[in-house]
Amino acid sequence: MFFDLDFALKSFPEVLGGVPMTLLVTATSILLGFALGFLIYSLQARKRRWLTALCRLYVSVVRGTPLLVQLYIVYFAVPPLLHTLSQRYGLPLKVADIPPLAYALTAFTINTSAYMSELIRSALSSVEAGQMEAAQSVGMSAWQSYRLIILPQAFVEAIPNIGNMFLGLIKGTSLVYTVKLVEVMARAKVLAAYGLRYIEVYLVASLIYWGLSICFEILFKKLEQVLRVGSRKLKAI
Amino acid sequence: MTKAENGTDSTVMVTLRGIHKSFADNHVLKGVSLSVNQGEVLVIMGASGSGKTTLLRCINYLERPNEGEITVGGFTVRGGRAPKRDILVLRRKTAMVFQHYNLFANKTALENVLLGQTVARKTPKEQARELSLRLLERVGLADKINAYPSELSGGQQQRVGIARALALNPDVVLFDEPTSALDPELVGEVLDTIKSIAAEGITMIVVTHEMSFAREVASRVLFMDEGAVIEEGEPQEIFTRPREERTKKFLRRISADWDYNI
Ligand SMILES: Nc1ncnc2c1ncn2[C@@H]1O[C@H](COP(=O)(O)OP(=O)(O)OP(=O)(O)O)[C@@H](O)[C@H]1O
Ligand SMILES: [Mg+2]
Repeated sequence: MFFDLDFALKSFPEVLGGVPMTLLVTATSILLGFALGFLIYSLQARKRRWLTALCRLYVSVVRGTPLLVQLYIVYFAVPPLLHTLSQRYGLPLKVADIPPLAYALTAFTINTSAYMSELIRSALSSVEAGQMEAAQSVGMSAWQSYRLIILPQAFVEAIPNIGNMFLGLIKGTSLVYTVKLVEVMARAKVLAAYGLRYIEVYLVASLIYWGLSICFEILFKKLEQVLRVGSRKLKAI
Repeated sequence: MTKAENGTDSTVMVTLRGIHKSFADNHVLKGVSLSVNQGEVLVIMGASGSGKTTLLRCINYLERPNEGEITVGGFTVRGGRAPKRDILVLRRKTAMVFQHYNLFANKTALENVLLGQTVARKTPKEQARELSLRLLERVGLADKINAYPSELSGGQQQRVGIARALALNPDVVLFDEPTSALDPELVGEVLDTIKSIAAEGITMIVVTHEMSFAREVASRVLFMDEGAVIEEGEPQEIFTRPREERTKKFLRRISADWDYNI
């Protein structure tokens, strides 16, 4: 039999059980990546030449190398590094105790932060200069202007791009089985090898990724609609 | 010394002394000095690129003058390197109405008028709200308080902009061509609003090319060319008997445009 429907159906709940881990990695990397990305953006905006150059280099390297390679580098470079450190300073760190999740989150956060810093820059520059000037002209401090006027508008502009990044990351997490983290893809691989039924299980995995993507696409659309209320017809004018 | 009391003449609201401003090697303002008394309406005219907008923006430090001194309501800030705190104080004594309105796009009309009071001036919320509603009614927008800028016409947006400026109870309101971005049929409503607040004795500096407005409302008209004040006087005087050749030329040109518009 080419396609064993029964096996596919039976493996479905098993593979679905990996969804929480997939989402955990995605959501956490987006949040941490946002924080780190914002830091990189603000360092870059400092106008210290060497800082700017350093940030540019970071962004360029991270964006110019595959996620899988970054994952491997973190996975293989961190343990010996930690080992050396713990020996030298006598820290009670056991490399074997580091959970796979930590490797995955580190690599994904680094990866996301590079894209985020660019995203933040373009979102902020999409807000017209006149908005900042108006805020200053009524006597708001820089922080008040950002908090009340600039950031809310920039955030709405950024939502579609954050959404795209989120969808990309969901699919990107299918790589983390390589560092022994068990999510949707890892479960699928194990089941497939166990039952020697590859098509069935990978089809199930595909459906699950696709379903997740659709859900989050809708979610981000809704979020944008709700938050854009203040500039509903701005584009039409 | 950056702070000084202007104790000599209590009726002077704004004084500029020797304002210079350059963008890279483009020397835009070449030592502009002027003063505006309390309740006066000073209209500034001049050819495109003569530095009118730049001058206005220097008064509330949206543009940092390279040299010179700005005094508003007795508070003085120098050009060059002014401390942030002083700039903030200066900005809280002035208000600006922009050519392109620049209403906060993510805030309603009411919030636009409210924010400067509650956030920058820490006015109690209830009191600020009351004043905002009163001002929006004054500019004829009582029924639009919950509309977002994108839902308002240009004329309505500019009237919200005027209410937002007045809400700050500023020592001077700066207008930068408040009607030049408007469709012709909306110019009247905005000019009428400005006239009515001028009649209340609010000190204003208005950059505009609306001759009839200047004739009717201006206490004084000031002509700028190439970054300097070339002529200044009462509207009747200056429109009918301009002394400077450049003023004459400019007036001929804008009244020609005026004729063509009709
Ligand atoms: N931010 C800026 N950076 C560089 N140059 C500027 C800037 N703002 C103004 N300028 C230059 O300063 C000069 C005066 O400009 P300004 O906008 O003050 O003229 P204006 O009198 O308001 O003209 P208009 O009637 O067209 O509004 C122009 O040569 C302009 O190119
Ligand atoms: Mg101008």
